[in-house]
Amino acid sequence: MTVIAAPNAEGLRRDAAVERLQLFALGGPAVLLVIVTMIVPVGWLFWLSFLNDAGEFSLEHYRRMLVQPSYGRAFSLTFEVSFLTTAICIVLGYPLAYVLSQLPRRAANICMIAVMLPFWTSLLVRTYAWLVLLHRQGVINTWGIKLGLWEAPLPLVHNLNGTLIGMVHIMLPFLILPVYSSMRAIDRDYLKAAANLGASPTRAFWLVFLPLSLPGLLAGSLIVFILCLGFYVTPAVLGGGKVTMVANRIATDIELFFNWGAASSLGVVLFVLTGLILYAASRLVRLDRLLGGGSH
Amino acid sequence: MNNNKKSGSRIAAILLGGLALSFGAINASAQQTLTVVSFGGSYQEGQSKALFQPAAKALGITLKEETYTGIADLRLKAKAGAVTWDIVASGSGSAARAGAEGILDKLDYKVIDTKDFLPNLAGDYCVGGDVFSTVLAWNTKTFGDNGPKSWADFWDVKKFPGKRSYRKGVAGALEPALMADGVPADKVYEVLSAPGGIERAIKKVKELKPHVAVWWSSGAQHAQLMKDGEVDMITGWNGRFDVVAKDGAKVAYTFNQALLDYDCFAVPKGAPNKDLAMKFLAEISKPQYQAEFTKYITYGPTNKKAYDLGTIDAAYAKKLPSHPDNAKNQLTINLEWYIKFEAQAAAAYENMLSE
Amino acid sequence: MTRQAALPISVRQLTKRYGSLTVLDAIDLDVRSGEFLTLLGPSGSGKTTLLMMLAGFVRPDCGIIRFGDADVVRLEPHKRDVGMVFQNYALFPHMDVAANIAFPLKLRGVGKAETAERVEQALELVKLGGYGARRVDQLSGGQRQRIALARAIVFEPRILLMDEPLSALDKQLREHMQIELRQLHERLGMTTVYVTHDQREALTMSDRIAVIDHGRIQQLDAPHVIYDRPAGRFVAEFIGESTFVTVDVTEDDCRFGDVSLILGETPARLGQHELMIRPERLSILDGKQSPDINVLPATVRASIYQGDSILVQTLLADGTAVSVRASASVKPPAAGEPIRLGLRAADTYLLPDGAGRA
Repeated sequence: MTVIAAPNAEGLRRDAAVERLQLFALGGPAVLLVIVTMIVPVGWLFWLSFLNDAGEFSLEHYRRMLVQPSYGRAFSLTFEVSFLTTAICIVLGYPLAYVLSQLPRRAANICMIAVMLPFWTSLLVRTYAWLVLLHRQGVINTWGIKLGLWEAPLPLVHNLNGTLIGMVHIMLPFLILPVYSSMRAIDRDYLKAAANLGASPTRAFWLVFLPLSLPGLLAGSLIVFILCLGFYVTPAVLGGGKVTMVANRIATDIELFFNWGAASSLGVVLFVLTGLILYAASRLVRLDRLLGGGSH
Repeated sequence: MNNNKKSGSRIAAILLGGLALSFGAINASAQQTLTVVSFGGSYQEGQSKALFQPAAKALGITLKEETYTGIADLRLKAKAGAVTWDIVASGSGSAARAGAEGILDKLDYKVIDTKDFLPNLAGDYCVGGDVFSTVLAWNTKTFGDNGPKSWADFWDVKKFPGKRSYRKGVAGALEPALMADGVPADKVYEVLSAPGGIERAIKKVKELKPHVAVWWSSGAQHAQLMKDGEVDMITGWNGRFDVVAKDGAKVAYTFNQALLDYDCFAVPKGAPNKDLAMKFLAEISKPQYQAEFTKYITYGPTNKKAYDLGTIDAAYAKKLPSHPDNAKNQLTINLEWYIKFEAQAAAAYENMLSE
Repeated sequence: MTRQAALPISVRQLTKRYGSLTVLDAIDLDVRSGEFLTLLGPSGSGKTTLLMMLAGFVRPDCGIIRFGDADVVRLEPHKRDVGMVFQNYALFPHMDVAANIAFPLKLRGVGKAETAERVEQALELVKLGGYGARRVDQLSGGQRQRIALARAIVFEPRILLMDEPLSALDKQLREHMQIELRQLHERLGMTTVYVTHDQREALTMSDRIAVIDHGRIQQLDAPHVIYDRPAGRFVAEFIGESTFVTVDVTEDDCRFGDVSLILGETPARLGQHELMIRPERLSILDGKQSPDINVLPATVRASIYQGDSILVQTLLADGTAVSVRASASVKPPAAGEPIRLGLRAADTYLLPDGAGRA
């Protein structure tokens, strides 16, 4: 009888390698899709942003952003609008998510469908719907005046107000979803324990519920904020030409300069700024985990 | 310059293009194929029916129609060295700048006959296809019969109180401001070209800024604003107002001090069938085609002989921007000025808007 | 941590229904001041609901709950001032150990220095001194249990409620903690209501046990009474192992088949009764016989060697199966062999009438 030192070792090792490969293969299509639809075009735009009209390497597009104050204002307005939208979404969405999280699961699921309902209509349709509702002789102003609630038409649209209304409406579900699921995950016993130890419902909320729902709130706020940075249609339709966010400015520059480079440089700057914010936020979230938010 | 007015549903045009493509494939061996690109929507539909198809038939060639969003698309093709279009439809200003940039071929006016054209509607790189006006329009419900008559009135918020809407882009935005500031029409571009001229115009627009409720950026938008009664006074393209007025909008406009502008056709550098393109442009510049096109939209013919054919109804003719009675009160857009100053003016205008 | 003046709890007519389901059926219960009372019952018996009502988390349909003299039934949970240890401990994951324990003190406006001192005292008490800076998720199950206990007693409540606090621990740790909890109770003396479904835990720790089933208290007594003199078949079956045989009581005798039995107590009536046999109270008789021991003849079915003892499976005269433990040092009886089982008269207990299943 022959004794083999490590019987089947080679074959077993090969089996393991094949299994690993199969696992990678499953992720392959998604990776390919990301490369084709994201990395290639973004990289190409990045490249274009460093070329001038003659096709030579140049920082002209970036210099223009520094020299002309309107670019700086477009960036600060973009962040301002995104910040305000996020803040309003938190104020409106957090209490709603709280109510939903306290409902029995069946009722909550039905309400969640209602929250998701806007996703079934196109963004453009919803935005124009707001225009119909909000304009000078729109439904809201007509009825408000008819009912004697106010006298002159309120400036509800073609300005920052209208833009925020439209954007909050679109972004609210993006905030509610993660907040709701993080609230659902909070064990009711924590609140009972807080009450038992002497915390009134208000104090139990501030000291226990809010901190425990914070990771979800942070995630939701971040999603909303980042998505807001790229908004184009809503400010274009509801902003009355006064809310020029970066995406709108990109469109203007393409028309004006017939040049993708001029526009993509704006995209690159927005991309980098967004990346920085994400990085800062991820630090913040990790800090939160350090404080014990992730344990269960 | 007014690219946006033709943007809209491109699907019809794409389908048309696809149709043309399949015909082209069948007949390619027998006939020459010409590729024309325009802005799609109802505008291209009109062009197709009044200009492209009849002209192709007359020349015995196969026509392929495509749509695009503007000169930036052509620029990309030109850079890639893959120009597939023979003729591009464009705003006059965009075409002029593209010509200066070197991505268009000079037109051969030995082939294209423009001796009967209205003045200034054919340039080195671009031959006019239709004429439109940027006019002063107002809500007839707000102002009744005593509407504003001039740009000075547009700026006069005491005499004509009400919400204004003005263009978000700089094109066609500075000329009215200077006229409102007392500059005679024939001196407008002189002033704008002189140092401080652009600043003077922008300062005048800034004066009106508190009263501007909406800065419009597309033809569809300024038409809708008047239809909704959202503003009381506005600038915009005459054809759009006619369309919504037909729909019952309370809107009227004047050609007085309006800005006369035109859309045109150009041949890209590197076009596959350059000579045929010239012949095609010569064909669609003939008065009978020009007269036919007015049936689809109230944009005027560039060839003034079109008025003499008798195919345009006399009353209707008086509504067209290029009708001699209307044209004489207007300021024709100066393309040389735009080539030289638009980028600079646009930057200053954006700054004023964003302040 | 000093010994507190404890409060008695008094419950009257406490009732809770969910639709047609009666969870608590007009419960009356008195917990003496400083007593360690266990609510014992199967799941769904209503014991946890009763505890949650004491804490204020479940609103009864009607009834009275008195802590001392005050009726607290309508008082909100955060005003009841009772300590509670939750089944899953409910330690706040976003706070460290010290902050968890300091939480009730912070709410009561205790100063910083005093808080720190009392937190450390509480930690010492549960033998986790110096653990204040630990994160909750760095603790083992047993440590979490102790921290939860420390948090529940640090504000010196006069009543302590515990909801199956040891159920998540492994057996060894659980038995260790049972003794520690008991000792802690003796030191602090607060009135303690303890919920468990583990009968051994209840027997080990309690001053008294309330056995609950179907929303009613089946029996409330000291552990040995519950065990030896169960009030009915449910309690007898739920606690410990038992076998029941039918006996016939006449004027001057109690007969199990042919055998005459001497009873510990005389039953209230004549006729058929159920005799409770705790197998561990049976012995295998080897000839010698004392007068206060009843003899039950049986047949051996099998003998199973179990190391520390031998389990002898037998059949009684009426066919009832009974297992008896015999010392491993004797020779195991063979299958089919007749033997005599001895049951002391004091352990010969007939179940009383009436207090059976609800």
